[in-house]
Amino acid sequence: MKKSILLLAVVLLIAASVSLFAQGTAETGSKSFVPSKDIEWVVTSSPGGGSDIYTRVISDIMNRKNLANGKTFLVMNKTDGGGEVGRLQVSRVSAGNIADHTLLTFNSGDHAPMLKNTANRIENFTPIAVMAVDKQLLYIGEYAKYKTFNEVLNAVKAGNNIVIAGSKGDDIATYEMLVKELGVSQNQIAFITNNATSDAITSVLGGHVDLVMSKPAAADQYVIAGKLTPVLALSETRFTGNLASAPTLSEVGPYKNIENPIWRGVVGPKSMSAEAADFWSNAFKAVAESEEWKKEYIEKYKLVPEFRDRAAATEYMQNFQKLTLATLGK
Amino acid sequence: MENLMHLIQGFGVLFTFQNIAVTIFGAILGLLVGAMPGIGSLAGVALLLPLTFKFNPTTAIIMLGALYYANMYGGAFSSILIGIPGDGPAVMTLMDGYPMATKKNRPGQALLTSNLSSFIGGSIGMIILTFMGPLLAEFGLKFGPAEMTALLLVAMTSIGWLVGENPTKGILLTMVGILLASMGMDTLSGNPRYDFGSVYLLGGIPFVPFVIGMVGFSQVIRLMSERHQETKLAVSKLSIKESMITLHDFKRLLPPAIRSGFLGTFVGVLPGAGATTAAFMGYAVQKSFKSEEPLGTGAIEGIASCESANNAAAAGAFAPLLALGIPGSGTGAVLLGGLMMWGLNPGPLLFTNSPEFAWGLIASLFLANIITLAIAWGVIPFLIKILSVPTKLMIPVITVVCIVGSYSTSNSMYGVLIMFISGVLGYILNRTGYQTAPAVLSFVLAPLLESNMRKAFIISQGSLGIFVEKPISLVFIVILFVILLFPLIRLVLTKLGVLKVKEKV
Repeated sequence: MKKSILLLAVVLLIAASVSLFAQGTAETGSKSFVPSKDIEWVVTSSPGGGSDIYTRVISDIMNRKNLANGKTFLVMNKTDGGGEVGRLQVSRVSAGNIADHTLLTFNSGDHAPMLKNTANRIENFTPIAVMAVDKQLLYIGEYAKYKTFNEVLNAVKAGNNIVIAGSKGDDIATYEMLVKELGVSQNQIAFITNNATSDAITSVLGGHVDLVMSKPAAADQYVIAGKLTPVLALSETRFTGNLASAPTLSEVGPYKNIENPIWRGVVGPKSMSAEAADFWSNAFKAVAESEEWKKEYIEKYKLVPEFRDRAAATEYMQNFQKLTLATLGK
Repeated sequence: MENLMHLIQGFGVLFTFQNIAVTIFGAILGLLVGAMPGIGSLAGVALLLPLTFKFNPTTAIIMLGALYYANMYGGAFSSILIGIPGDGPAVMTLMDGYPMATKKNRPGQALLTSNLSSFIGGSIGMIILTFMGPLLAEFGLKFGPAEMTALLLVAMTSIGWLVGENPTKGILLTMVGILLASMGMDTLSGNPRYDFGSVYLLGGIPFVPFVIGMVGFSQVIRLMSERHQETKLAVSKLSIKESMITLHDFKRLLPPAIRSGFLGTFVGVLPGAGATTAAFMGYAVQKSFKSEEPLGTGAIEGIASCESANNAAAAGAFAPLLALGIPGSGTGAVLLGGLMMWGLNPGPLLFTNSPEFAWGLIASLFLANIITLAIAWGVIPFLIKILSVPTKLMIPVITVVCIVGSYSTSNSMYGVLIMFISGVLGYILNRTGYQTAPAVLSFVLAPLLESNMRKAFIISQGSLGIFVEKPISLVFIVILFVILLFPLIRLVLTKLGVLKVKEKV
């Protein structure tokens, strides 16, 4: 009895491995890549946040337009180690079928801390696409002491201290650019890092800080309700719509404009085959060109559409890395 | 009265076949998810969220609201029955719930106490939410870094109640909790702290696996070492009738439940604090009131105070979420993400632009509260059968549950490793007469205190004045000093003969 079970198990095992191999050879034999299994898409931040929504909108559009050969996207939120663990895991996926079916949401807000805190570099990934660019503004609350950015600057000159609240990563970098351009110290205009932009908005609504830094999407509803007013566009040009009233820094005084473009992209593991990378780059291009993407993401969250394909994204991310490492002094 | 009209309209939205069905579905799922250690409301809501994109937004939020809400009930089950907290807020329930179920052999009553207190706390929270939601949210905004720091300092003194007979050991473990909590990325500057070069430690020690290990798995190890002493409980009370609490029990339950209902709602509204903090504070406050039996030995008051507080906080957290679009907790943030995916714009205009949505959600909380109570009550007889399962079978089952729970917090084995390590640590500490509760409490509060205090100092340029210049924070600072100096003042007064020593004590 036991023997027969053992025999059966061995036979099954062989059968299984044969069919696996058969699949494997079929894959490598064909030149162009088509997804043959479900795709694991890693997001290194929590469900419900900006990166998560970005990922789910794209995967939803890909499903609706059948861009992934009818395969399902499994979005995995891997937040260990501030996201570094998820990024490291993706970078280490070994070549093969799994590597071709692994994607990672990768933004400047992921890239900068990775460079700062770990030895992981963009060379360990295969850049696939850059989808959009986001920028920030400074806002005041309803009962703010200073009503314009000029008043803020005058207050600083008069010896008062100003506090800006913002989120992590990109916001800190933009703040440092701003302070440097204004030529003031980090005590004169201080910055409070919050875990999320919503926390920063809470503190300005309660009147605990003077200004809040936010991307248009997170502050949108508060601007409509009159609870927040934009006072400075951290951009080369003014924003449009209800944000048009905010001047850029060069309009305020003898300064250069501050702009720190926050890009949202996608990468795969380094070991991803060139065929698969091309396939995904084209699929993301199709998403970027779709009406759904424009309506459900770009317009809704007020981003700047800026698609870069595989080659352009690689160059863009490498360039970002060079600049960031230089600022970090690494 | 206007709000009452809105609420009735909300019920109008709610009472369709589909919406009631999803409320029930959400409530059952919430109970299950809550009862599974590690898979708290955050994971439950996050897992269910993608499923709801095809629903209309009102139906979707009703389901998620019911799930989130029922979760607060479910968390207590595993705390009481197997001594492993189902989620953060249920840690405190364990302190009295587990002894009451096992040592006192009143598992049915313990569960019922927890359910009834949850119901009372939740109802108080919802009524306050209905009539004062937006007002409450505005009040929550007044709590900036300075006010939160002062409040958290007061909360930290509650550790004093938890240290047990040996204050030195208690304080030592409080420090250990603070040290462990400070590992990982510095929240303000983003610099790594105590990461010892490991990418995993960069994100710090995750709370849920830490608690499951420290409080739960340490129990499993204890069970293993005691497996030969068959002290099986004779669980005879298997019907609903026999797990009824007496009128006397109910009278004991009511005052702490009502007190914690108000306290919990208030804590739920504050930015950054959540159901876990509320439960801790509810329990700590109960320490300063009279309980018939000492807390920690299976007192009804202990269960009531924290279970009521965490449900009230869950309801209170909806005030800033709905009125201002500010998530009060991690789960709130996920719900907020959901609102955006459904095409709604959470923010100060939600009540004006989508009233049927906002009030439908509030109405669904009321319904979920009643449905969950009924379901939870009904399953008590089946649940307490768990206690009659032999220890040798329980050990592997609980171990698996602990592993699954720790794994699911971040989908990685890192959580499992942390759970095992904290389990062994917790066991050793227990054996050597250390209480683990202070470590868990300081682990929760220290990061909140640290980030708020540092923010306050950035605002005030390092001046301590900020804590006394702001009226709300001044009040808490005064309370803090009263608590700290009270024993000293009493001692001095007694020595001077002003205060007479009570002979009875």
